[in-house]
Amino acid sequence: MTAPTRGEIVSQEYKYGFHDDVTYLAQTKVGLTRATVEEISAIKDEPEWMLQFRLRAYDHFLRRSMPTWVPESVQGIDFGKIVYYRKPSEREEKSWDDVPEKIKQTFEKLGIPEAERKFLAGVGAQYDSEVVYHSVREELSKIGVVFMGMDQGLREHHDLVKKYFATVVPPEDNKFAALNSAVWSGGSFVYVPKGVEVPLPLQAYFRINGENTGQFERTLIIADEGSKLHYIEGCTAPIYTTDALHAAVVEVIALPGSQVRYTTIQNWSRDVYNLVTKRAHAHARSTVEWVDANTGSRATVKYPAIYLRGEGATAEVISVAFAGHGQHQDTGAKAVHLAPNTRSRIVSKSVSKDGGRGTYRGTLKVAPGATGVVASVRCDALLLDEESRSDTYPYIDIQEDDATMTHEATVGKVSADQVFYLMSRGLTENEATNLIVQGFLEVFTKELPMEYAIEFNRLVKMEMEGSLG
Amino acid sequence: MTTPTETTPGSPAPAEALAGSPAPGGAAAPRPRRAPADLPFTFADGALAEALGAERDEPAWLREDRRAAAEVFARLPVETSELYTSYVDFRAADLFGARPYVRSAAVPAAPGEIPDGADGIIELREDAVVRLALAPGLAERGVTLETLGAALARDAASVREALTATALPADEKLAWLSRGFWSQGVHLHVPAGVRLERPIVLRWAAGVPERALLTRTLIRLDEGAEAALVEELVPSGPPIGCAAGEPVPQSLFGTTTEIDLGPGAVLRFASIQDLPSGTTALQQRTARIGAGATLRFAIAQLGGRVVRSRIDNRLEGDGSEVEQVEIIFGGRDQLFDLTAYTRHVGRDTTGNLLSKAVLQHGARAYIKGLISIERSARGTDSFLGEFGMLLDKQSRSVTVPSLEIDQPDCRRAAHASSVGPIDPAQLFYLESRGITPDEARKFITLGFLEPVVARVPLEAEQERLWELLEAKWADSLGAGAVPAA
Repeated sequence: MTAPTRGEIVSQEYKYGFHDDVTYLAQTKVGLTRATVEEISAIKDEPEWMLQFRLRAYDHFLRRSMPTWVPESVQGIDFGKIVYYRKPSEREEKSWDDVPEKIKQTFEKLGIPEAERKFLAGVGAQYDSEVVYHSVREELSKIGVVFMGMDQGLREHHDLVKKYFATVVPPEDNKFAALNSAVWSGGSFVYVPKGVEVPLPLQAYFRINGENTGQFERTLIIADEGSKLHYIEGCTAPIYTTDALHAAVVEVIALPGSQVRYTTIQNWSRDVYNLVTKRAHAHARSTVEWVDANTGSRATVKYPAIYLRGEGATAEVISVAFAGHGQHQDTGAKAVHLAPNTRSRIVSKSVSKDGGRGTYRGTLKVAPGATGVVASVRCDALLLDEESRSDTYPYIDIQEDDATMTHEATVGKVSADQVFYLMSRGLTENEATNLIVQGFLEVFTKELPMEYAIEFNRLVKMEMEGSLG
Repeated sequence: MTTPTETTPGSPAPAEALAGSPAPGGAAAPRPRRAPADLPFTFADGALAEALGAERDEPAWLREDRRAAAEVFARLPVETSELYTSYVDFRAADLFGARPYVRSAAVPAAPGEIPDGADGIIELREDAVVRLALAPGLAERGVTLETLGAALARDAASVREALTATALPADEKLAWLSRGFWSQGVHLHVPAGVRLERPIVLRWAAGVPERALLTRTLIRLDEGAEAALVEELVPSGPPIGCAAGEPVPQSLFGTTTEIDLGPGAVLRFASIQDLPSGTTALQQRTARIGAGATLRFAIAQLGGRVVRSRIDNRLEGDGSEVEQVEIIFGGRDQLFDLTAYTRHVGRDTTGNLLSKAVLQHGARAYIKGLISIERSARGTDSFLGEFGMLLDKQSRSVTVPSLEIDQPDCRRAAHASSVGPIDPAQLFYLESRGITPDEARKFITLGFLEPVVARVPLEAEQERLWELLEAKWADSLGAGAVPAA
């Protein structure tokens, strides 16, 4: 698998590949040392326990060896060449008018205000490492819904954060989670009180800006008993000439009876390493859904997980990946059944083309005591040409005698019959193939709000045209 | 995994001074706690490889092959595929006292009888041949059934290539174990165009406590040849009674089956493994399948304490085909650790793999499979199915059905896996027909495992397998655990 060279990346037209010259107010020196970690914590004026948490994570990051099974390009990341913290703006903005003009222009290009006008309940947009813009509709504030930057959350909801922070993903979980825990900055903090249903999706845009900037957002979502929430994140990043690193941690706590859906459209530029740990704890009778699409980045390592901890909890993961030239999408899902009468469903679809590589890695586990489990896994892969590759590595570990588990996987190419049929109806070959790929991914698209579905289909079409045109 | 010599910048490196000189362990020193992937024996070293070659007065090239194998064996980890490193567990086996066989194999004075319906038999008890007979006329047609020792004595050159240019996987430590330290072996050769009407029986009795028996079996079918083989792996003595709480006496049986199929050859290979409950079985089976050739595996795994098996099917020739059906009936803390690799290389090859496991009384099965479709393998049809049935809460099933696809132009590339209890609808149906619940459960369970029985090429062997399955079922009732409804 050869990675694209720098020249190739820059020459590719990347829709969101603009870059603004922003004056950073504070940034750490290149590289990662204990002093870097202490400096970040000091800039943020954090409580002592958070500093100690960061240092513990830093120590673990140093000790933990790089997993050898991750994509080769990830193994080659030079952690010493990355800037771990930048602060582009002094304070969080409550109103759109107060956001600095330069940054505002960037978001204009991303269409945030429009999206907000249309249907968003709140916007938290992360520009590099700090949340710069935030608004929560008044009615949501009134009913107690908290949607703010993680740093602000730590200040204003200290006890809640302290109670739940890193309880789902401890720093020792994996090397990238340790890195995030040591240098995290920004991300969202969401709390939905008991019985409250958030009527519209909460949305956050993340962007990497600044050459060599690592982005290490940390998101914590707490859905209290009986509440309901849909959180959407979309990612775009400008193109740079050296590798960018994105190592995020997302923790979701779905308390009894709550419903949480977390939707991601990941479209980092083709030089970003996207190493994300996403995990949810689903308590009794709660429902957690990860709806996850990965089209961008050079290499993505991400397996959204749900630990079904309470009786009657339900988990669903819908994951799609599009691996084009030089890309390796190493994605998948995990469902760990720890309680009786829990259910899970995993659906994964991947498309590989122009030498791209799509890997599904998944775990399905039924622990002793988790009786009456019903679980299913379905993964399908499409290979569009002979240069591309698809791998499927599912782990199914059943330790209860009454679990019902089914797993199916197929790999294939676009059917010549289907293309022929569509062409006989007047479509060109490109259009026909495009339509078939969109249909293949529909299991994901149909879960999106309409605006996103349109945007996602446009994205797929662009990916397809890149090869076929 | 911790690195022993981790140093922090700026600190002196005391670890360097200490490393490389482990504390000398006295005879009374307690054995350190073993990690799951630590092998439960230490006898396999260069000295043993040399002793084997000298005792048997082997040709220089074979001694060199053993020496080289011993070196690779020492170097490799027990599991090289990172997909599977978390699913290795030798902790239940303790063979540190086991002694390997070194002496030359005995050859029987009289050939002995051929079982009804078979065309030949080779029967071994531990490392000794006790029966070796071939139906009249087969030797004249060029069919060879002999021990490896006999082959070497007769015409060493004839088996040199098979022994040294083997298809055994180079990354598999346990394949190198047999290659370096085998004391007994079997050689079957069917020349071009010869079709054996009836199966050949390979009966191997093993499991003498405190012994380690390592063997190789070479099977070669030349162009257009056809044969069927029934492998019986049975206890070499009556069950050894031991008082409750006392450890079961342990033994090691490490084998290879190295199959080479020429163009258009057809081999049916059935194996019924019913080794003693204290035996650790290490099985390496590898097949090179030529153009238009067909291999059909039917394997029943019933006995043993720890069974680690690896099957490598290499579909090299265009239009080659493999069918592999494997069943596991596990009980009483048995561990079945089974990996199947199917590599599609030629055009229009077909792979059809099915594994089914019934587990009870704390039995565990790790069923791992990997289909690889190489870029050259256009028109592949490959399926891998792994299915489990857990009869109680102490048992555990792990399945890892993996795919690595490098060529999209395939007829099919799919896998499926499921685990579930006995289907209550089936139970209800049978009970409504007047069958008692216990009988109904037995029907459903044994019916689940039936696909292998039907594929055993000898009627007497089919009956024997049924008896073994029924005995295992009866054992489940005798074990006293009340199966969950």
